[in-house]
Amino acid sequence: MTNLIRAELQKLFTTRLWWAMALVMFAFTAFGLAFLIAQAGVAPANGQPGLPALDDPAWLPLALSFASGANIFTMILGIVLMTSEYRYQTITGTFLTTPKRGRVIAAKLGAGVIVGVFFAVISLLFTAVVAITAVLIGGGSIDLTAGRVPQLTLGVFATLVLYALFGIGLGALVRNQVAALIGGIVWAYVIESILGAFPALQTVGKWLPGGAAQALMNIDFDTGLGESNLLPAWGGALVLVAYALLFALVANLTTTRRDIT
Amino acid sequence: MTAIEIRNLSKSFGAVRAVDDVSFTVEAGTVTGYLGPNGAGKTTTLRSLLGLVTPDSGEALVNGRRYASLDHPLNEVGAVLEATSFHPGRTARDHLRIMTTAAGLPASRPDEALDQVGLADAARKRVGGFSLGMRQRLALAGALLGQPKIFILDEPANGLDPAGIQWLRGFLRHLAHDTGAAVLVSSHVLAEVEQTVDNVVIIAKGRLVRQGTLAELTGNGGGAVRVKTKDDFAPALRAAGAEVEEVEPGLLRVKGLDAEEIGRLALDQRVLLTEVTHERSDLQSVFLELTAEGERA
Ligand SMILES: Nc1ncnc2c1ncn2[C@@H]1O[C@H](COP(=O)(O)OP(=O)(O)O)[C@@H](O)[C@H]1O
Ligand SMILES: [Mg+2]
Repeated sequence: MTNLIRAELQKLFTTRLWWAMALVMFAFTAFGLAFLIAQAGVAPANGQPGLPALDDPAWLPLALSFASGANIFTMILGIVLMTSEYRYQTITGTFLTTPKRGRVIAAKLGAGVIVGVFFAVISLLFTAVVAITAVLIGGGSIDLTAGRVPQLTLGVFATLVLYALFGIGLGALVRNQVAALIGGIVWAYVIESILGAFPALQTVGKWLPGGAAQALMNIDFDTGLGESNLLPAWGGALVLVAYALLFALVANLTTTRRDIT
Repeated sequence: MTAIEIRNLSKSFGAVRAVDDVSFTVEAGTVTGYLGPNGAGKTTTLRSLLGLVTPDSGEALVNGRRYASLDHPLNEVGAVLEATSFHPGRTARDHLRIMTTAAGLPASRPDEALDQVGLADAARKRVGGFSLGMRQRLALAGALLGQPKIFILDEPANGLDPAGIQWLRGFLRHLAHDTGAAVLVSSHVLAEVEQTVDNVVIIAKGRLVRQGTLAELTGNGGGAVRVKTKDDFAPALRAAGAEVEEVEPGLLRVKGLDAEEIGRLALDQRVLLTEVTHERSDLQSVFLELTAEGERA
């Protein structure tokens, strides 16, 4: 199985997609952090509470939670890991080399976990360097063991890994690369955003992967839309694990018996 | 043990009966041509053999086992499938490295296999820029990775230039006759494999229509020459030992002499021939009939 996982990682790292994803991820995170830094401590005109100031201990966890925004990129890599096999018909060669198809799926999921961890590490490192620099320049002090920092870090790892697996499951189900990418992005950016943003809809949203990840990280950032309705952190973790199993099952069921012609 | 065994294999796609109760075997050390017009069911048969398609009934076995049950398939079977696809952004070598990793083969195999198919110079080029012929060679390199003793090739001559086809013929013969491998090679063009194969299996519309050694299929019925002449040529031909049948006035069917011998005899006898043609061999006639039928259908 380690051989198969290594082969799956080779598939990813022998094409140019992964570093394109890493670059876009850096740009995306940098953009978000720039906004957080610019708006830190600025109170909106209508008297609503704004973002915490840079020297406020609450700012750093908020900035670190931005590292989980890279979930979209691990999801895309997960989708591509699966759908490019169908797009370029390389699935034929893959199944000739490993005719026990369940093992191929397991290896892809294993590779998805590693990709998720890898992106979580680079995303967190990048975010931490930028955010800590900003806090120090802004006159604050750093305590990485304080508050929710360890839990947030764990949450970023879990989120990025889960979305990679989600991408693989979605890719196995849809198979058409473009359709899967559009579906996945609409899901993550539109559906989950809507169901996660409004407390009234969070009764549904909290059960979705995005809501569960939010619960795990316990980001109850006040959006001014009312008190948020999330699962407890452990509940979020359980829901995420349940999703991972579901994606694995879907990927397996849709792949193991189909004729490859 | 029989290297490849297809037993009462049937497979339908919806209403199309792609393969209908086909049985044949391929022994070690021989090249078998699997021939038939487009849509005959060749690809479906070979994909069933490789565990990519699940047959409705019957069995397709390699070394007596289903392909999907093999623990080290690349060490037992090398496959080149029709329109084998590669990721265009990946180099030839990386493509083979991935297979090598997954199959747990020695890391030296990709370069050795590329060398064997004459693709060493293009090893680090992206496959996106390869010609069809180079892709076929790369696919063949993939089949060689595990040094198997069974080869299954679906229309491997497609896209090769005449020199490439010549090379492929020699290579397949070498695999079978020098290394003792069992080779099953499909084609819809008889001429492509006629000079390579020991045995022939012909399929049309999913059904097996003829099978045997090349000698069996080309031998009977072959060898007759049709001769047109207004002169009385039959007695001279008979005197020269030929068997002569007068098909219609002015048209003779001659057995026992070839066109050149008949021509020389005509020259000696000062007979004017207006046409001398070898009748097509049985294999060619069967195949052309089937191909024509396939195209009409
Ligand atoms: N996936 C499929 N779905 C529907 N029909 C198919 C499929 N694959 C093959 N066929 C049909 O099965 C028949 C045999 O096809 P194939 O095995 O590809 O023939 P060959 O390789 O001899 O050209 C054809 O009529 C073809 O259209
Ligand atoms: Mg075919």
